[in-house]
Amino acid sequence: MVKWNKYVQIENKPQMVAAGVEKAMIAAAQKNPKVIAVLEDMGFPGIGWFTKNVPLQMVEVGIAEQNGAGVAAGLAAEGFIPVINSFVFAALGRAYNQVRQSILVDRFNVKIIGREGVWGETGISHNTVEGVASARVLPNLVILNPSDAVEAEKATEAMMQYIGPVLLRQESSPPSIRIFADDYPFDIGKAFFLKDGKDAAIIATGYMLTEAVRAMDLFEKEGLDVALVNMCTLKPLDKEAIIRAAQMTGAIVTAENASIIGGLGEGVAAILAENYPVPLERVGVDDEFSQSGKITPEKDELKEHFRLDAKDLVAAVKKCIAKKEKLAKNRK
Amino acid sequence: MAHRDDLIRELEDKADKIRQNCFDIFASTQMGHVGGTMSLIEIITAMYFHHIKFDPKNFDWPERDRVVLSKAHCCEVIYAALVELGVYPRETLKTYYCFGSPFQGHADRWCTPGIDFSGGSLGQGLSFAAGMAYAEKLKTAMNPPGIEQGFLPRYIIRYNPVYRTYAILGDGECQEGQTWEAAMFASKYKLDNLIAIVDYNKFSLDGPTNDILPIEPFAKKWEAFGWWVTEIDGHDMRQIVDALDLTSRLYGDNKPKCIIAHTVKGYGITNWEAAHMHLGRGEHVMKGVQEGRKKYGKVE
Repeated sequence: MVKWNKYVQIENKPQMVAAGVEKAMIAAAQKNPKVIAVLEDMGFPGIGWFTKNVPLQMVEVGIAEQNGAGVAAGLAAEGFIPVINSFVFAALGRAYNQVRQSILVDRFNVKIIGREGVWGETGISHNTVEGVASARVLPNLVILNPSDAVEAEKATEAMMQYIGPVLLRQESSPPSIRIFADDYPFDIGKAFFLKDGKDAAIIATGYMLTEAVRAMDLFEKEGLDVALVNMCTLKPLDKEAIIRAAQMTGAIVTAENASIIGGLGEGVAAILAENYPVPLERVGVDDEFSQSGKITPEKDELKEHFRLDAKDLVAAVKKCIAKKEKLAKNRK
Repeated sequence: MAHRDDLIRELEDKADKIRQNCFDIFASTQMGHVGGTMSLIEIITAMYFHHIKFDPKNFDWPERDRVVLSKAHCCEVIYAALVELGVYPRETLKTYYCFGSPFQGHADRWCTPGIDFSGGSLGQGLSFAAGMAYAEKLKTAMNPPGIEQGFLPRYIIRYNPVYRTYAILGDGECQEGQTWEAAMFASKYKLDNLIAIVDYNKFSLDGPTNDILPIEPFAKKWEAFGWWVTEIDGHDMRQIVDALDLTSRLYGDNKPKCIIAHTVKGYGITNWEAAHMHLGRGEHVMKGVQEGRKKYGKVE
């Protein structure tokens, strides 16, 4: 049996990250009339509740994301807490300069919830993978990427309490499993060790934590002791946790449902190279656009194509351990 | 309601002082967005010295009117006005473009208290202003108990908004699609507390605005987007003051307002006008500054 941290409570039932976001968003809007839902014709977490209970706390800007970002900034300048909800490619990608100039330059308290990830039937336009990389270079922006509904709820709550711009990346397809217990402590900027280990460490974010949890059983069978770290905050990255994982294991594998260029993998690579160089493997999308793909319990075409399965994590970990051993041999 | 002649004269004198401040700014760097700044002088003067609610001693006043300078490259004229109002000491004019100075190359809310919008990337100001105008409506509409004082002032019967939002746009940036997204938004939400002033100086960097990408029929466009529109001579102080005051009196008509101010790029300075100069450097700027200092120097 895998020895988990006490705050881990795995239930192998599908769970939508969106459910957690919705719960926390309703609670935030109920508590604070300054919370304003900025709709970009893409719905909103808890839209039914909003319409029924707090219609004034909603503003529909239509399919005009650039204007949406500007209006949100203007609302924030007047003390409101606007929350934009859309796909990352629209809310951030389409309005990239508006987010930079109107929101981030003055560090306005605007929250952006953006759906992203390689999975889904929607195809190349909507299944984007470049959002994290394009957002990480923007100063003043905090990026969160929760991995299950429990964490999503806590991350959304933390986002609404934090004063400043936040991008909450919501990977909605396929559903994750439940990973965290209800009393799981969440903090912006803090990584969480689900499990310690000595052979290698997986640093995963978002949906890939589900695959990493599944991989843990495979490691157990093979007699490998692999640590597992959840990196919900993609900016600022938890440097201490990354170094700790490197010191603990000497081999790091990152896993993300996003491009490995400029994403979690590169962030971790930079921190390791500067502070504690150890072999690294990055699992994610390698310089490629996504496309449509069928997801059924038996077969997941996109997972197979992009090699984002638990099996692929196992292969990456083995490759990384081999690198580590080769390095040790060369040193001798 | 005609304004007294002496008020107009006073404002015209003030405009000359603002011009002098602008010349000081240009002279300190031998550079500047001279064309668009000169075309805005009278409009900014009429706003800051006659029309808007603005307290130089308390520029964070929650009820102040918001001024969103969307054509933020022409921030020189706002800096000049803020100095004239005593918000910043006169020496600050010489620190334009300098590291750490409140007078940055493009207007920056963070660095320059007294400025409401960090612009520079064109076409974004009207959206921001619409957000502020919408916030004013929202604050009054919500009016819930238990929220701290100052955030939601209680106005039972209102003949005036708590504050008005003014967006100053360039004609060139009306080529940006975002401006028209914001125009649709403002008209949808009936933002009669929002006033857009277009500095229609007919030229942008590459040449005549209407050659580069025609914005005409301009007034008809705003009208079609559901705005109340008027066209004025943007260098005639009386027309500016009348138009601004009229927009206030029209409050309650559920329409955002647009004042199209026909202006001349580089107004008042021979070679700047002739060259339709956008961004001037070196000798070109200094020649104009010399001419301008002499021409408008009668006030000092």
